[in-house]
Amino acid sequence: MITRHQLTRLIRGFEMRKWALLAVAALAVVACGTSSSSGPTTGSTITLGAPLGLTGSLTKESTLTKQGYDLWLDWINAKGGIVVNNVKHPVTIKYYDDTSNANQSAVLMQKLITEDKANFLLGPYGSAATATDAAIAEQNAIPMVEANGAAQSIFNQGYKYTFGVLSPANKYLQGVIDLALTLTPRPASVAMLSADDNFSLEVANAVVAYATTKGMSVAVFKKYKNGTTNLTAEVQAAKAVNPDIVLNSGHLQEAIAINKAAKEQKLNAKLFAYSVGPSTPDFIAALGKDANFVFDGSQWTPQVKYTPAFYLTVAQYVAAYKAKYPGLGDPDYHVAESTAACLALERAIENAGSLDPKKVRDALAGLDVTVFFGQVKFDARGINIYKPMVVEQIQDGVHHTVYPQDIADAKPMYPTPAWDQR
Amino acid sequence: MIARAASIDRWRRLFVIVGAILVAYALLAPITSLDAAQSANVPLLADRLWFRIATIIAMFVVMATAWNIIGGITGYAAFGNVAFFGIGAYTTGMLVAKAKWPFLVALPLAPVVAAAFAALVGLPLLRLRGHYFAVASLGVGVAVGELVQNIDYNGQPVFGGASGLFLPIFAIDNRGLFFFYLMVAVAAVAIAVTWRVLRSRFGYGLIAIRENEEAAAVLGVNTTAYKVAAFALAAALTGLAGGIFSQWNVFINQDNAFPIEYNVQMILMALLGGTGTVFGPAAGAVLLQLLIQFLGGSLPISVDIPFVSVDARPIVAQVILGVLLVVVVIFVPRGVIDFFGGSSRLSWSYLRQSLRETSL
Repeated sequence: MITRHQLTRLIRGFEMRKWALLAVAALAVVACGTSSSSGPTTGSTITLGAPLGLTGSLTKESTLTKQGYDLWLDWINAKGGIVVNNVKHPVTIKYYDDTSNANQSAVLMQKLITEDKANFLLGPYGSAATATDAAIAEQNAIPMVEANGAAQSIFNQGYKYTFGVLSPANKYLQGVIDLALTLTPRPASVAMLSADDNFSLEVANAVVAYATTKGMSVAVFKKYKNGTTNLTAEVQAAKAVNPDIVLNSGHLQEAIAINKAAKEQKLNAKLFAYSVGPSTPDFIAALGKDANFVFDGSQWTPQVKYTPAFYLTVAQYVAAYKAKYPGLGDPDYHVAESTAACLALERAIENAGSLDPKKVRDALAGLDVTVFFGQVKFDARGINIYKPMVVEQIQDGVHHTVYPQDIADAKPMYPTPAWDQR
Repeated sequence: MIARAASIDRWRRLFVIVGAILVAYALLAPITSLDAAQSANVPLLADRLWFRIATIIAMFVVMATAWNIIGGITGYAAFGNVAFFGIGAYTTGMLVAKAKWPFLVALPLAPVVAAAFAALVGLPLLRLRGHYFAVASLGVGVAVGELVQNIDYNGQPVFGGASGLFLPIFAIDNRGLFFFYLMVAVAAVAIAVTWRVLRSRFGYGLIAIRENEEAAAVLGVNTTAYKVAAFALAAALTGLAGGIFSQWNVFINQDNAFPIEYNVQMILMALLGGTGTVFGPAAGAVLLQLLIQFLGGSLPISVDIPFVSVDARPIVAQVILGVLLVVVVIFVPRGVIDFFGGSSRLSWSYLRQSLRETSL
């Protein structure tokens, strides 16, 4: 038997459902009504411009940058364009090949502004070209959103029209120290081996200073000539102080050389972390099992978990990349940050409700949005100091994201076992 | 014979008239971009892109003309003149960016430092001749760039290191126009200096060194002093161009202040135009730089090159420049200026004769 009370609840449930259905139907009608009567109309095409080193020494990275831009371009045009005040503007990106030459990049930037009437600019590849182009953007008062110039000096010039979506160089290894503070037994001493080029030194100086403020001692800080492949002496100097953490700020070949020398000399640190190198497949290919347990800092990884406010999720992004560029594996961080630059520009144009360069600049300055790449927000200088660097670790020959914890896909394997116990 | 001389005279007059019109147009067209001109409805004949390209062209006119003093008139094939360009750029750059000097006060020091450096390295280097001098000067050009990037003091890069040097953007209205006319003025100075040198005792001494250094010494030319002076003069002009470049471009680093390819380009321009002449290197610089910009795709006019995809253009451009160098050296050894106001006319017999003369 159904009690009276239960009956009332049942009827009320039906009622609720009926009302809910009605409401949905009403909404649908309203929605249809708007889309047929006062929906977005198609407006003028927005032209974006980017000089890239499609030939020359920076071809590989420039091609990845272009892939990132093009991925977004396909997506936005499939939607009909960027919506400004209820008008859809289709987008084109005009590319020129600057032959990896910064002077040529500046001429082409001016051509994009003057001849091609580019509404907004996307960055070239590399800090040198970005620095030159930032001055052009500034003098023409056209916003440039860039994703591939991490040198802080670009953003210390007081320029108002250049915005960088990536984390600056001084953050590159900071995440490793933050991670180390959460581990037990807690590491207390650091050995730093750094290449002598400016980017590497900027990374090294910043992380050493950061480790000191966190109570760690810097046992040794060795600089070596950029591109050196025999780092036996430097590793020996590190072994002499028996550090808990071995850091390297340099490049792929140097990271490989350090790891090999560490094994030969049985430098048994609890944690090995290298700035650039371990994130590429070449590192694992060159070292095999010895690559395991190594940490590195990265702008982005395909494993991160951010909740995007718009555009694709991380998984969808990886799938979209593989569909458009089959056979290239997962998108690397160059691709992701380039797409993020486009997203920042898109959202700023929408927020500005205008194609006026000054208004879009102001909207960029006030932007705060999270996309698949992470939080995109600029400080007063125009660089994104809000997105954390991600820490990766190679575990059983596979890259895993281990820090920050809220976006990680695995736990860090720590401490690193001694070389003769692997 | 008389008819031939008369026809050469006609050529020369035609060349002067056409040249004067082109130069006048290039100098006056940018004025149409001024606000006053635009509000008076004067048609816009040159925009910011054109200033930028024209400023680059004027910069190469300076460098090729300056190279001509040591390479063309004195006959010492200097392959490292870009060092003076970079030294000029870094002198002005350091004074403006670090010492906070006003640009126009810092600029005059660029040629002084470049010339002093040239005199210093010139004393030992100019004792070498032929290939030895060419290779040694190239070494200096590369070494200076590396030094500037890598000198540290107390662990801090002295000259900005690998991340370069930023100058504040020069606060002046019509900035593009200002730097264009400044660079053109320096180009005019370089040409005037060449003209004056070629009509002076100093210039005759340099030519004597080029033709036969021992004979010149016997005749009483102080060859060392003359050579070093010519080297320093070339360095001063090149350094001045570098000083302007640093403020104009706002950002300098090893790559854009010491580009190795400029060494080759300024020599090729002087060869193409005509070494040892007053206007030859300038003409060569204008022609070659326009070609480089055209092949690089930065000119508003663009013509598809048959059988060449857009992606391959920059590579093809390098090949075209290389072939051009070979053709010029073999067939037009006295430069294109020789046909305009010089003593020759472009003809099959001229090309055949040149080929015979260059064959060993």
